[in-house]
Amino acid sequence: MPSEVDAVQLRGIGKRFPGVVANHDVDVTIRPGTVHALIGENGAGKSTLMKILYGVQRPDDGTITIEGKQVVLKSPTEAIEAGVGMVFQHFMLADNLTVLENMVLGAEKLHGIGDGARTEIRRISERFGFDLDPDVLVEKLGVAARQRLEIAKVLYRGARIIILDEPTAVLVPQEVDALFENLRELKAAGNSVLFISHKLDEVLAIADDITVMRRGTTVGTADPATATKHELAELMVGSELPSPETEESTVTDTVQLSLSDVTLTDEFGRNLLTDLSLTIRRGEVLGIAGVEGNGQAELVETIMGMRIPTSGRIMLGDQDVTHWHTRQLREAGIGYIPEDRHRHGLLLDAPLWENRILGHQTRPPSSKGMWINRKGARKDTERIVADYDVRAPGIDTPSRALSGGNQQKLIVGREMSGDPVLLIASHPTRGVDVGAQAAIWDHIKRARRNGLAVLLVSADLDELIGLSDTIQVILRGRFVGTFDPSSVTPQDLGTAMTGGAA
Amino acid sequence: MSAATAQRSTIVERLTKSWLYIGLIGIGVVSFVRIITDTDDLTGAGTIRAAIIATCPILAAALGGLWAERAGVVNIGLEGQMILGTWGAAFFTYHYGPWVGILGAALLGLVGGLLHAIATVTFGVDHIVSGVAINLIGAGAATYLAEAVFPEYEGGGPRQLNGLEAPAQVTIPGVSDLANTISDQHWFFVSDVASVIQALTTNISTLSLLIFALVIISALVLWRTSFGLRLRSCGENPQAAETLGVNVYLYKYVAVLISGALAGIGGGFLALVASSGFSTGQTGGRGYIGLAAMIFGNWRPGGLLAGALTFGYTDSLRLRDTQSVHSLLLLVAIGLLMFAAWRACRKQVKGALVVAAAGALVMAWFLLTDSVPREFTVMTPYVTTMFVLALGSQRLRMPAADGKSYRRGSAG
Repeated sequence: MPSEVDAVQLRGIGKRFPGVVANHDVDVTIRPGTVHALIGENGAGKSTLMKILYGVQRPDDGTITIEGKQVVLKSPTEAIEAGVGMVFQHFMLADNLTVLENMVLGAEKLHGIGDGARTEIRRISERFGFDLDPDVLVEKLGVAARQRLEIAKVLYRGARIIILDEPTAVLVPQEVDALFENLRELKAAGNSVLFISHKLDEVLAIADDITVMRRGTTVGTADPATATKHELAELMVGSELPSPETEESTVTDTVQLSLSDVTLTDEFGRNLLTDLSLTIRRGEVLGIAGVEGNGQAELVETIMGMRIPTSGRIMLGDQDVTHWHTRQLREAGIGYIPEDRHRHGLLLDAPLWENRILGHQTRPPSSKGMWINRKGARKDTERIVADYDVRAPGIDTPSRALSGGNQQKLIVGREMSGDPVLLIASHPTRGVDVGAQAAIWDHIKRARRNGLAVLLVSADLDELIGLSDTIQVILRGRFVGTFDPSSVTPQDLGTAMTGGAA
Repeated sequence: MSAATAQRSTIVERLTKSWLYIGLIGIGVVSFVRIITDTDDLTGAGTIRAAIIATCPILAAALGGLWAERAGVVNIGLEGQMILGTWGAAFFTYHYGPWVGILGAALLGLVGGLLHAIATVTFGVDHIVSGVAINLIGAGAATYLAEAVFPEYEGGGPRQLNGLEAPAQVTIPGVSDLANTISDQHWFFVSDVASVIQALTTNISTLSLLIFALVIISALVLWRTSFGLRLRSCGENPQAAETLGVNVYLYKYVAVLISGALAGIGGGFLALVASSGFSTGQTGGRGYIGLAAMIFGNWRPGGLLAGALTFGYTDSLRLRDTQSVHSLLLLVAIGLLMFAAWRACRKQVKGALVVAAAGALVMAWFLLTDSVPREFTVMTPYVTTMFVLALGSQRLRMPAADGKSYRRGSAG
């Protein structure tokens, strides 16, 4: 089936933004009818390269050759015409429109916007096992279904080269397997897939060819039949992969946080959380695993006092804190790394030292009586920047200017200051590069050794297994299983997370 | 496939049915109040005619708002675009007759829309700031242009231009007379419906009919064509639209230009039909009320029509005698209590209690007084606006990217 002409050839691609070189001297060749993996750390320039191939951004140097013809892609429309389709990491769907409307948007001329389109969508859906109903609103779809819709959208436009940007980041292991099944179907139908990832297991499982990027350029290729994870990791980061593994247990007997039969009901009387009980001791990390939207966020918000439980009791040490407000809880020594640092963790346009004050506005060194202590806060920010290796031009830089990893390190430093007794960490390493990830893991491990109790919510199962002393699986607001991280596999957790037999 | 089609048609049926029921219940309640309070004026053909005239400019503005916001641009400059429209209608009607006058009104409104589009789409100015600026510019420009041009015209002065020719009126002979006879009987329900028919078939302005037709045309274009789908996608997720090859800037421009033109037509209606000529400050905040009607209507054509009719009706009543406004209190009280009951059925206890308490207050006011102070009646449409928005805005869904600034190349 593979013909002689390469599906895509990128030669010497370069792209500069003010102050940064995002890509330089990038060479990639995709053979037809294959899955080609492009791997690299966050910030290695993968996303920029994809945007160039999809016409969202124009390269400053280099050439793009698609199926033997050299092309200049000025817009996504031209990329689509050339046969390139892209599935973005953050889905490009309008929630308030139906599957059909999202599908035909921009391609109305192909099959109209009525029954013709409906028939074509059903045909694609059945051909590749996508299971899509054209007349459902997108907001009703789950994450995996949205992703299948995105892939279907690309196929609807007749794309032969499909770019998938970190498609597995949002999926549980079983959904990943289903996605790979879909990809093999696509390959069998003669399409080429460009698969972007930094998860090496998945890349080795699905790819026919591998290209590695580091610091904006391609640093090598590998054959998945012979390459090992170790070799790929070295190519990617230029050194060995960090691991979240913890050392010997530091769990003590002192209970720091306990929830008993906590139930949370929404305004319509539905249970968001049902009879949750847990205890975390000093020096213990309790991991919470679950598919997103099964009550993790509500659990964290309940402990943090942003929601008041409908029934049940929350104890911090030996105090009943069930009805305490967030500020009281923070003053009592709870640190909180929120799951979305942009929406909840930082004021993006405020300087670092002002961000340092947030959540600590009533405590020294940030305040003195009713006044903000500018000097104290600035000095303490300098300390955090130094101790936590926050790479920033200065403490007056707006936090928006920092990379995701450095923003997160600033938050971790802030939440660790003032000697917390309990740390609530929601997805502490989501969207940060490998270096920052390792640093954050180190900080959590060190604090644990010093007797900190940690509640860790994460979608990264390796992180949960590596850092936790105990793992609880949450499904539809209930705990459905307790696992020992020393013996559990990601597959076991995935089964429990989706409600299979534990 | 056939199953899905069948399901779709039942949804359509259910929607039209529910609108029909709400309409019937509404007329029934109004009729009931009319008989209880013995104010035939409440649904007299004269009142309904006045209500239609009061509705049209609000409706045109609301449609303007719909077009802009469906493409993701908040247009509070509607008021300013309407004011420009009043001047445009006066100037062009004076020279070329009413139909060119309406085109002129649309053109001037479109200029206002163009300013808003340049500011918000090209330069990414905050939509509210730009809208306020356009309201100020519109009012200032119209005043200046009137002073500069109109004093030399026949019937003109620095602040007004009178004696403009109005667009033609239509009467359907047989239906009009029959409806007139029935409505004079003051029967329960039947006569009220007859009044509505009479008002719609007797001396109704062709411009009113055009504006009502524009509601249907807007609905069809926005929801049944690929042009409309693309335009709406810019209001829901412009980044997604961009990745699918939609020229977002172009669609936003088109939407805001149409928005301005519709607001301008609303202004033209004020100058040509609602009164006999142009005067400065004629719009009196109708652009804002149009915006409120659109929000009340949940960014949907049918809904904004209902909203505009509500505001138009209360607006027209204040122009009649104070007795009608007093009867309106009973109408509002009954409406609130019914709304409370509906909420109670849906187990929204707190909301139901608040609405019921408000209803009881208005009812007490009605029972304990004989009339409403004249000064208060002027406020009626605005108070209604507040009530409706405060109570009705619980389950509204605006376009997801409405009011957000969008830059090309921000996808991914």
